[in-house]
Amino acid sequence: MENLVYIALFAPLVSSLFAALFAQKPKIQLVGIVTSILIGISLLASVTLLLDIHESGKAVSVTLMDWIQAGDMDIKFGFTVDQVTAVMMSVVTLVSTVVHVYSNYYMESDKSFNRFFSYLSAFVFSMMVLVMSDNFLGLFIGWEGVGVCSWLLIGFWYERKDETRDVNPSISPSWAANEAFIMNRIADLGMLVGIFMIYWNLGTVKYSEVFAHLDQLSHGMLVGIGIALFIGAMGKSAQFPLHTWLADAMEGPTPVSALIHAATMVTAGVYLVIRANPLYSQIPEVGYFIAVVGTFVAIFAASMALVNRDLKRVIAYSTLSQLGYMFAAAGLGAYWVALFHLAAHAFFKALLFIGAGNVMHAMHDELDMFKMGGLKKQMGWTFFYMGLASLALSGIYPLAGFFSKDTILEVAFNEHTYGIWFTLWLTAGLTAFYSFRQVFLVFFGDERYHEIGAHPHEAKAYALWAMAPLAILAVIFGFYKEDFVEFVTKLLPAYEMSEHTHHMVWILTLVTTAIALTGIIVAFIKYSKGLKRDLNFEQNNKLYKLLYNQYYIPVLYEKAFAKPYKELSDIAWQEIDMQVVDATVDGIAKAVETTGDVSRRAQNGNLSTYLKWMAAGLIFVTLITVISVVIK
Amino acid sequence: MSNILSVLIFFPLIAGVFGFFVNKNSIRVYGIVVAAAEFLLSLWLWMSFDTTDAGMQFVEKISLIPEFGISYYLGVDGISLFIVILSTLMTLLGIVALSIKEDLKNMIITLLFLEVAMIGVFVSLDVILFYIFWEFSLVPMLYIIGAWGGPKKLYAAIKFFIYTFAGSLVMLVGILYLAYIYHATTGVWSFSLTDWYGLLLPTDVQTILFWAFFLGFAIKVPMFPFHTWLPYAHGQAPTVGSVILAAVLLKMGSYGFVRFSLPLFPDASVAFILPIAILAIIMIIYTAMVAYAQKDMKQVIAYSSISHMGVIILGTFAMNVEGISGSIFQMLSHGIVSGALFMLVGVIYDRRHTKLMSEFGGLAKVMPTYATIFVVMTMASVGLPLTIGFIGEYLSLAGFFKVSPIMTILAGTSIIVGAVYMLSVVKKSFFGPLANPENEKLKDLDSKELWALVPLVAIVIWLGVYPKPVLEPIDNSTKALVQLMHKKAQTDKAKKIILVSKDAKEAK
Amino acid sequence: MTIGLTHYLVLSAILFAVGLAGVLRRKNLLMLFFATEIMLNAANIAFAAISTHIGDLSGQMFALFIIAIAASEVAVGLGLLILIYKKYGTLDLDNLSIMKG
Repeated sequence: MENLVYIALFAPLVSSLFAALFAQKPKIQLVGIVTSILIGISLLASVTLLLDIHESGKAVSVTLMDWIQAGDMDIKFGFTVDQVTAVMMSVVTLVSTVVHVYSNYYMESDKSFNRFFSYLSAFVFSMMVLVMSDNFLGLFIGWEGVGVCSWLLIGFWYERKDETRDVNPSISPSWAANEAFIMNRIADLGMLVGIFMIYWNLGTVKYSEVFAHLDQLSHGMLVGIGIALFIGAMGKSAQFPLHTWLADAMEGPTPVSALIHAATMVTAGVYLVIRANPLYSQIPEVGYFIAVVGTFVAIFAASMALVNRDLKRVIAYSTLSQLGYMFAAAGLGAYWVALFHLAAHAFFKALLFIGAGNVMHAMHDELDMFKMGGLKKQMGWTFFYMGLASLALSGIYPLAGFFSKDTILEVAFNEHTYGIWFTLWLTAGLTAFYSFRQVFLVFFGDERYHEIGAHPHEAKAYALWAMAPLAILAVIFGFYKEDFVEFVTKLLPAYEMSEHTHHMVWILTLVTTAIALTGIIVAFIKYSKGLKRDLNFEQNNKLYKLLYNQYYIPVLYEKAFAKPYKELSDIAWQEIDMQVVDATVDGIAKAVETTGDVSRRAQNGNLSTYLKWMAAGLIFVTLITVISVVIK
Repeated sequence: MSNILSVLIFFPLIAGVFGFFVNKNSIRVYGIVVAAAEFLLSLWLWMSFDTTDAGMQFVEKISLIPEFGISYYLGVDGISLFIVILSTLMTLLGIVALSIKEDLKNMIITLLFLEVAMIGVFVSLDVILFYIFWEFSLVPMLYIIGAWGGPKKLYAAIKFFIYTFAGSLVMLVGILYLAYIYHATTGVWSFSLTDWYGLLLPTDVQTILFWAFFLGFAIKVPMFPFHTWLPYAHGQAPTVGSVILAAVLLKMGSYGFVRFSLPLFPDASVAFILPIAILAIIMIIYTAMVAYAQKDMKQVIAYSSISHMGVIILGTFAMNVEGISGSIFQMLSHGIVSGALFMLVGVIYDRRHTKLMSEFGGLAKVMPTYATIFVVMTMASVGLPLTIGFIGEYLSLAGFFKVSPIMTILAGTSIIVGAVYMLSVVKKSFFGPLANPENEKLKDLDSKELWALVPLVAIVIWLGVYPKPVLEPIDNSTKALVQLMHKKAQTDKAKKIILVSKDAKEAK
Repeated sequence: MTIGLTHYLVLSAILFAVGLAGVLRRKNLLMLFFATEIMLNAANIAFAAISTHIGDLSGQMFALFIIAIAASEVAVGLGLLILIYKKYGTLDLDNLSIMKG
């Protein structure tokens, strides 16, 4: 068993190092194949572990070696595979394997093919460290590791130049990469502070020991730790106000968006909250705050997706919105529901993104949906996959999204947080609308792509086959809900609906499905027959412009933080450091020099002056002597 | 070989003198061989070092002026051991990577003399001896900056010399006063540090002496607002000068705090945590901002050094084992990383004769290996876990969190502002289109540069993943140090804040 | 009225003052020499007088020393004066100021 843990963990590392050997060489197909196989091995190991834990019900723990030991701090590289970890590992490696195989197709003509696989596998390794570690600092390794890999992959096409926001709202890949890294770092500070608090109050950062001794802490301390850790989670999961990086992260290659910025890395924050459930269960007020933030992000992101024309950005906003759902569930104490939605979302969102990758390839990297349309004919399979994923995302029976999202709404209802319920319910309608707006704009209606001279073609067969596992899971995963609940509630607290909610369930389901269907129908009416643009509306409607410009938040951040920081830095350097601090130092040196210069004039070379000075000095000394004698 | 420390000091000295008689064409090989032998000797020191012993090892003591208790007194413990190895390593790699053509012979001899001074500072246990090496280290550096520097080299060299010298003189007064007090208390003269450790000083005397030593160390570190000599020195110094200056010479200041200020004046150190922490936080945030405003790549690294030294100071004044061990580890980490970064800047300077980032852009395309190593060092510099930079920074901040959570959060912004300026350097220099035609034909790293940089990359990863071999001796000696401080502390506040680790308590 | 120690010392002081005034007022190097000689002799008188008064010979010995040294000094000094005069054509102090800082 322990070997399986190591295989699952280190196969991606080996894969990454292998690809790194050829990073500067031109494309070698073997690299893509070997890395895919190695990630596949990791998947097999993870699934075996999952089944094994399912059978035995016992977690597997291993300790690799010592890491940091100073004073009373003793931190080891320790890994535990329990129910939650096993689910996360399986989801991560599954999506990773699919994305690796798919990337062989997507990146086939990229000159940095080998480098890409090195980064991608390194990401998988970091993510595995993140979910498998048995202590907070180990989690932090993975946390930062995925951050760096995300930085490398968003900025993968580093040679592109900076544009203005009108041309490219993300400015450039390297800009977006830096934005993502720095914004995550802001949140990481919160996380680090949380870890410090845990260490100084409990003397350990190991999950099992920390959670066993939570009762030693005062309520205020628990709240502090809970908030600090959640700040960390907000960065990685791009929750408001640290959300802008996720949409800009779409500058990375599409398989990256599918793996990192949809299925796995961004769910790390949710994972953290789920993992720290013994802590959050004791501080329901923080949990409620998390739920409110999540709910707000759900509708906030969905609203931006309504009007966006960029194929990938729409999916990015939808990811943001779904992450909000997960936080809402986790915040309300329904941890397994959050985990369930996390897994289901990983499958259909990765599928959706990969489908978008196919479309991008067909459209020669054009992302504006207004320039697509009617692709159903040429790209039947992609249409099928994306349609399926969109249905799942909208929460239509019997797809996975139906089960997970419905349960979240039930939880919100059950907790009597009707505001949250209503907002999430409304968001479900918006979700259905923008998902199918996308599907209809891309695959239905008039063929607008002729204007940009594209010749659409379907993706290669193996790429389409690679998508199949995700599609299958998006369909059937929901039916395993009961098994899933039974499995993970061995570790996570079970969440029981009240009697009242039980009676209401079918009404709730009906209402939710109704709004989802309404969303789809509105999208169908508006977009399936082709695009009719209302330019006057687009240019003059304030709400439209507000949503289209992401509530002007990126511009606001630029104006409120980035620019003043730059200006302040310039002032700090030129005005303070040079004009005050350094000038003071030089001033002291100058003062010494001036004193010397002034007294130098006494040295005029004229002997008679010297003699006068001498005589004066003599008299002075004599006087002093006489006075001192007299005084005595 | 019980007198290994003397060998470490005198071998480069003798080899340096011999260097005058070596043929010009073979001086480079000679320098590398000598520095490598010295490095191996220091490794041998590590191998024969007893990691379980927290006290001074390889002690040598020869009385020089018995009337005043001045002796030739050397010793090494976990705190100084690795800084000695860092000195020999960086000297070796600095010589390997040397790209200077004119007066190469003088440069190599100067570097060997500088090595003598650096090792001498870190192994001296007699305060007069320490002071002699401390001042002696200025001379080779003055020469390196003044002779091989950039256009404003004389200004930079003299500023460096006078500024640090002025600080040291105040420290010298402190040293003499302390020796006088020792004489007045015990009736015998002694300049031996281990004797001084036993001295219990009244708090008002501690305060005066603390600030006298503070001035000497703070200028060397350099702490805000005494830092302005550093950007000039780095800006004008040749690559090897910057490498040694950043990697080792700055550590003399922070080492001084650990070796002198904390154990000699524990009460005063505790009493002045607040002002020093405020200075450290200003160093961290303010210089990071100044670094961000720079247009010259080397100046960014220079200011980043100050910012990182802020974390080291903060960790030192955490007054617990975690923080102090972390700050000592961070000294090594900063030595390796900033040394490597200065070497990397030197690489591009040799090719383009400019360090302005506006001249670059898109370099990753023409110099992929160079860009890769730069990014690795950037990540180490911003404190990414599993690189050397994380452990020291994490421990320092964790240690200070016990003292003041609020100030630690402020200081913790170093992980944000650090990322801001380092990533903007990477973006401006390596990413984007290859706009400048002069950059199109740049050669990637040659074998000489690889030989200097790859070992540093290896160390960055190795100590990031498995710091134990280094951290353990540091930790042992730090535990003993903190225990000593706790024992000496007189005020209640100091007794409370100086935190002895649990296992040390049990051992007692 | 007997001539006592005080008289000698007053004489010495007057001579010294005359010499000092000469040093401060005269601009010619040769005159300065004379003035310093007067001051030296003033000191000699004081030495000799006090020596006799105390009954200790070392004061008179010192006076002899001073005379000897003054003589050698004059020898060297006059030589230098001649050289200066040859080189600059003047012995006026105000014109000899090459030691300006």
